[in-house]
Amino acid sequence: MLKSIIPAILASSLVVASDGDAKAGDFTENIELSGVAESELAIGTNDGEAQKAEFVLTPEINLALSGSTRITVIGRLRGDIVDELEPGQPAQDNRSEFSKRWFVSDHMELELRETYVDTEIGNTFLRIGKQQVVWGQADGLKVLDVINPQSFREFILDDFEDSRIPLWTVNAEIPIGGAFLQLLWIPDNTYDDIPEAGAVFAFTSPLIVPEIPPGVPVIIAPLDRPGDFVGDSDVGAKLSTFAGGWDLSLNYAYHYFDRPVTRREISPTGITVRQNYERTHLIGGTFSNVFGDFTLRGEAGYSSDRYFPVSDITDEDGVSHSGELAYVLGVDYQGWRDWFVSAQVFQSILTDPDPGLVRDATESTATLLARRDFMNEALQGELLLIHSLSRGDGVLQASVKYEWRSNIRLTAGADIFYGTPLGLFGQFEDKDRISFGIEIGF
Amino acid sequence: MSTATTNPARFFEFVTAWPKTILALSLLAIAGLASFVPQIHKDTSSDAFISPDDPVVLYRDHVRDVFGLEDPIVVAVINDGPQGVFNPESLRLVDELTQAIAKLPNADPDRITSLATESNIVGTYDGMEVSDFFDPYPDTQSRADEIRAAISDFPLYQGALVARDGNATLIVAELLDQDAAQSTYDEILAIVAEASIPPGNEVHVAGEGAISGYLATYIDRDATRLNPLAAVVITLVLLIAFRTFAGAMLPNVIVLGTLAATFGSMAAFGVSFYVITNGLATILIGIAVADSIHIMSQVYEERARDPSLSSCRSGRREIAIRALTRMWKPVTLTTITTIAGFAGLWFGAAMPPMKFFGMFAAVGVAAAWVYSIFFLPAALTLFPLKASKLFRATNVNDGYGSALQRVGAKVLKWPRLTLGIAAIIAAVGIGGASLVIVQESQIENFQTDEPIYLADKEINRRMDGTYFLDIVVETHEPEALFRPDHLRRIEALQSFVERFPAVRGSTSVVDYIKQMHKAVNENRDEFYSIPDDEFLIAQLFLLYSASGDPDDFEEEIDTDYSQANVRFNLAVADYQLLTEIVPIIQDYVEQEFNNDEIRANLSGRVMVNYTWLKTIGDGHVRSLLLSLVFVWVAAAVVFRSVLAGALSLVPVVMSLLAVYAVMGFSGIWLGVGTSMFAAIAIGLGIDFAIHTLDRMKELIMNRQGDYDERLADLFPSTGRALFFNFAALALGFTVLTTSEVPPLIRFGMLVAVAVSTSFVASMTVLPVIGKLLKPAFLYPQTEVDGANRRASSLASAGSTAALIAVVFIVFASFANAETAAGLPAGDEIVAQLNARNDGQQVTRNLKMELIDRRGKSRVRDTIAYRRYYGEEKRTVLFYVAPGNVKGTGFLTYDYPDPESDDDQWLYLPALRKVRRISASDRGDYFLGTDFTYEDIKKETRIAAEDYVFSTLGTAEVDSHMTYLLEGVPVDRETAKELGYGRVLWHVDPEIWISRKTEMWDVNDNPLKTVTNENIENIQGIWTSLKLTAVNHKTGHSTIFTFAEVDYSAEVDDNMFEQRALRRGR
Repeated sequence: MLKSIIPAILASSLVVASDGDAKAGDFTENIELSGVAESELAIGTNDGEAQKAEFVLTPEINLALSGSTRITVIGRLRGDIVDELEPGQPAQDNRSEFSKRWFVSDHMELELRETYVDTEIGNTFLRIGKQQVVWGQADGLKVLDVINPQSFREFILDDFEDSRIPLWTVNAEIPIGGAFLQLLWIPDNTYDDIPEAGAVFAFTSPLIVPEIPPGVPVIIAPLDRPGDFVGDSDVGAKLSTFAGGWDLSLNYAYHYFDRPVTRREISPTGITVRQNYERTHLIGGTFSNVFGDFTLRGEAGYSSDRYFPVSDITDEDGVSHSGELAYVLGVDYQGWRDWFVSAQVFQSILTDPDPGLVRDATESTATLLARRDFMNEALQGELLLIHSLSRGDGVLQASVKYEWRSNIRLTAGADIFYGTPLGLFGQFEDKDRISFGIEIGF
Repeated sequence: MSTATTNPARFFEFVTAWPKTILALSLLAIAGLASFVPQIHKDTSSDAFISPDDPVVLYRDHVRDVFGLEDPIVVAVINDGPQGVFNPESLRLVDELTQAIAKLPNADPDRITSLATESNIVGTYDGMEVSDFFDPYPDTQSRADEIRAAISDFPLYQGALVARDGNATLIVAELLDQDAAQSTYDEILAIVAEASIPPGNEVHVAGEGAISGYLATYIDRDATRLNPLAAVVITLVLLIAFRTFAGAMLPNVIVLGTLAATFGSMAAFGVSFYVITNGLATILIGIAVADSIHIMSQVYEERARDPSLSSCRSGRREIAIRALTRMWKPVTLTTITTIAGFAGLWFGAAMPPMKFFGMFAAVGVAAAWVYSIFFLPAALTLFPLKASKLFRATNVNDGYGSALQRVGAKVLKWPRLTLGIAAIIAAVGIGGASLVIVQESQIENFQTDEPIYLADKEINRRMDGTYFLDIVVETHEPEALFRPDHLRRIEALQSFVERFPAVRGSTSVVDYIKQMHKAVNENRDEFYSIPDDEFLIAQLFLLYSASGDPDDFEEEIDTDYSQANVRFNLAVADYQLLTEIVPIIQDYVEQEFNNDEIRANLSGRVMVNYTWLKTIGDGHVRSLLLSLVFVWVAAAVVFRSVLAGALSLVPVVMSLLAVYAVMGFSGIWLGVGTSMFAAIAIGLGIDFAIHTLDRMKELIMNRQGDYDERLADLFPSTGRALFFNFAALALGFTVLTTSEVPPLIRFGMLVAVAVSTSFVASMTVLPVIGKLLKPAFLYPQTEVDGANRRASSLASAGSTAALIAVVFIVFASFANAETAAGLPAGDEIVAQLNARNDGQQVTRNLKMELIDRRGKSRVRDTIAYRRYYGEEKRTVLFYVAPGNVKGTGFLTYDYPDPESDDDQWLYLPALRKVRRISASDRGDYFLGTDFTYEDIKKETRIAAEDYVFSTLGTAEVDSHMTYLLEGVPVDRETAKELGYGRVLWHVDPEIWISRKTEMWDVNDNPLKTVTNENIENIQGIWTSLKLTAVNHKTGHSTIFTFAEVDYSAEVDDNMFEQRALRRGR
């Protein structure tokens, strides 16, 4: 009896196996090339000068090795005729060796944006390689989105997708019951790209740049970037779940804050300015849920060790240490057909504020976004206002996108800064611009 | 003695001339008819509600023959201890009960299933071994643990024989004679009472066999007790009304005569006495008494007017002649109208017991009339007639009469107020009526503290269910059911039907085959499947027979392996549930088992019950409308006025509305018992209206003065008689409310409400309408002026139009019932359409083409996955091209509860974030297409709760015949939500897909047309490969093209997680 069963089972399993082989055979079919070519022109309205006239090519290669293992490579070629955002070739001392851009000339650069392999071990999903990891529920404001550094070459006007700097990372997502635990190990010591003096969006606000009394000789020491591959790596963990209609996460990171702390050292010969990166613990969480037409979302985080400039010229190093509690609360409304309206409030509260701080102990920012689709989503108009409640400065961004063909999008926009030059946005008060672009997908 | 001048008087002179002869003939007739009564066949089974030659019954009997399936009685042993029932004491109890039940004369010893009788199938080195669970006997805990382990390895028994948590197990006993279910149920209860039940164990007895057997006797027993009580109560009312012996006794003779005539003729014609026939007795007692109350009242009035007459026989004869000459007309009129009312039930009802109820109620009413007209005057002439103290010379002047007189005066003083109140009550009634639901569930007919009710709830809570739906799969060749493709079809059927939450489990030969397949493969779980090899399957059965009894499969497959029965367990089997799931299952069976090789049919108790239950609603409406029409016509003929016919319906309609209001607001279902109340309420209630109108006419014609003065006598005389008529009926039916049986309580209460309302409305609304409307038929010709005539003729024209409308509706409903075979009802089409199998899961490529009015198109390529998790549907869509939208992902969890919003997430690669998005606006357009989120979500289905459907006809689409199904949103709110004011589907009944759908906006402007093209059968599922939506307002259109559709490829769970969105596929 059994003898007759076994061959039958064997035969049937062979059929299944040969089926599988046939599928795995077509290797070349599993390579996929796609990408986007963009061109954008931005003109400063105060001086009539072009801020950028760039062409960006972002090719993407996907290679499926098996059903669960895939390799993705995304590169970027960027050429800019005017070269005002990062004049010349930046020193890139903020970037690790593995993440530096390659400047072909002052006007053209090549960058390996992302290169990672996706695979699964059991139920654990692994993404290893250069990648972006985004945390948090807020739009345009960062509380928990600290995993990847950012390029400020266009301040915050560029899309985060383009300005975020991917890092070499080991990213594991492990299902635990109904939840997911994400574990991150980031041995890549790359930090924010800060435009150098002379660039269009070089920082001048005392909130970031230390004040030096006029006439005092200044020596700028080389940037002190952490260099220990293991000892200086960042780690993070996120536990997320969807329960009872709520999307919830708990986040923890032990990381170097991506903007350097600028300390001054007063000596008889003058002032030495030293920049280094400081580590902090960050613990926080996010939530979101839908109530009828409203989506409520929020995130909060506490950083244990943050350093802020003080205005007191006699202060020993010009920097004060404090913990920082920051949160964002946002409401999205989708009750009107084709409309999306969203408002957010952001607050940063220092737990141990020094009375001499340049910034306020509590800083508040609000954002308002209104977007409307027209013509079956072929045309989209958007207004975004970011306004500092503490300092009264802000930026208003208006944009229009038109999908002319399946893969061709035309864009136009205006970015208007206002408020005190001492403020984060007000410092670019004379950098208002209008821009036009075309984006071709392939 | 006066000389008779009119025909009626001459007739009653004749009747009273031969009093002894007539008395003797009457008593002979009673005795003669009553002699048939003992022969009457009591049929209290629920099968009685369906015609014995109905195909469903015939098929069920055939299935019983093949598979030997009967409705079982189920005994549950429950133990909530840590071991559950898997301990030596509980198992011993199971064994003891099994053996005791097997010895019962009506229990089929071969058809008792319990842990003590069933066999385990385990693999051995040379194949498999079949051994009893109780071998060796489980007298130790370790043996009990072994049995638990064996059961946990035997999915077939989980939930069916042993509760999934191990805390309960069943002994299922099938009966040899279903009609004796009641006594077997009692015997089993006795066995349980005698058994020594170890502490911690509970025993319950229930099951379909027990319920349907017990229910009938349960109702019957109580009714037999209560009907005589009703007669006693009515006699008491008579005593109070007349305070004379004759006044109380003579009506009782008429009651006897009526009952003898009714049940005697039923017996003589071989009509069975059904459960609901009990209600007939109460109703006939009330009706028989009503006639005599009116005649006797007149008799005592006449006697009081001329007391000298009563001393001699000729004087009494004179009284009888006078009274009957005065009363024959209203009594005859009410008889005609009441018969008309019951005729409505007779012709309108679909279930045989109800038809006979209507027919023999009419016979009884006629008999009551005969006895009232012949026997009563004869008896009055013959026997001495004492005065009733309550009736004085001029008029009745007791408390009842004068109270009614005061009420009458008030009512006539404020006619508009009276009508206003009546209108409000009617409006409340209409509101209540809209809340009435059609529902029937046999178990709910028991008191909630009855052991059988508790047992049913307890067992069905713990087990997969004790209600069985059988699906019989038939092939034409012996051993055809060894074929794996047939078996897979059965397996798919099981998994399809088990998708309904009410269906908790199923048993078929496939389950045994899988268990055997697993057993011969070292009990490895991965072999719990249907082998691919026909010969292997045959060998499995052979192997089984080596150590097991081949009869073990008797209930699942026939001896030559060509027919199989799949039995589904339901924990409840009420009408609402069955009307929801049975058509869907029928459709599935029709689609999947509809070829020359294999066919399937639904059967079993659940199916038989469904077949007759589904006639409740239609039958109710039909008999109600027919009764109204018959009564109207009868009243119009007797008063020679259409308007009079309409007026006589006013109290009846008000009483119907009152009853609906009571049902609607107190949540009483329109079920088997309650569906008859309408015809009964009409039959009983019409009397009040006819008596009132007749007396009103008499008073207005013959008296002088204004309307109020002329009508003054209406209330103390006719009103008083009607009051006692009402009291007798209402109290008689109220007696039923003391019953322990919920259906009798409801029946008694509803009829009491109906009778009360009819009485009150007759006494108040009718005189007031007469005052305000001054209908010509009430007045002598000379008094009718032009204005009156015009008003009356307008009212007559209006009521004639209404009558014609009602007649039209009745015929339309009959016509509908007839054409239903050709053109199904809208709801039916929707049910079929929604029942269409669209695959447990699907993977497909979807190309979306968005074309603007100038023809410029934008294209997106996506991959879409969908999978059902029970009733919950999860869908995910990934954009793969062009590059600038690549990576966009859209994930939806669509919950079955229409009240709970979907959960939706959108992944935008530019943000690298999964955004939670609101899903409350179903009418919003999906990602720039011309399909709304609702269109996308429902795919080819329709949200039945959103629309009211009607079938408009048929139309051809691409040379396919389609049903034109129109849906109008249930309310404006829903219409705005959906964005549609009206939708017209063209549903192809071959595939149950709408080939073309037209939508209108809320202002009824053409909005969209959606067409389904390139419909192909892919892996057995009809699939539309091209979907086009054209928006007529914007000129924009969208084409969805599906490719590489695969329903068989497993779609991984983690595809529907948010992290999958981030990953992109």
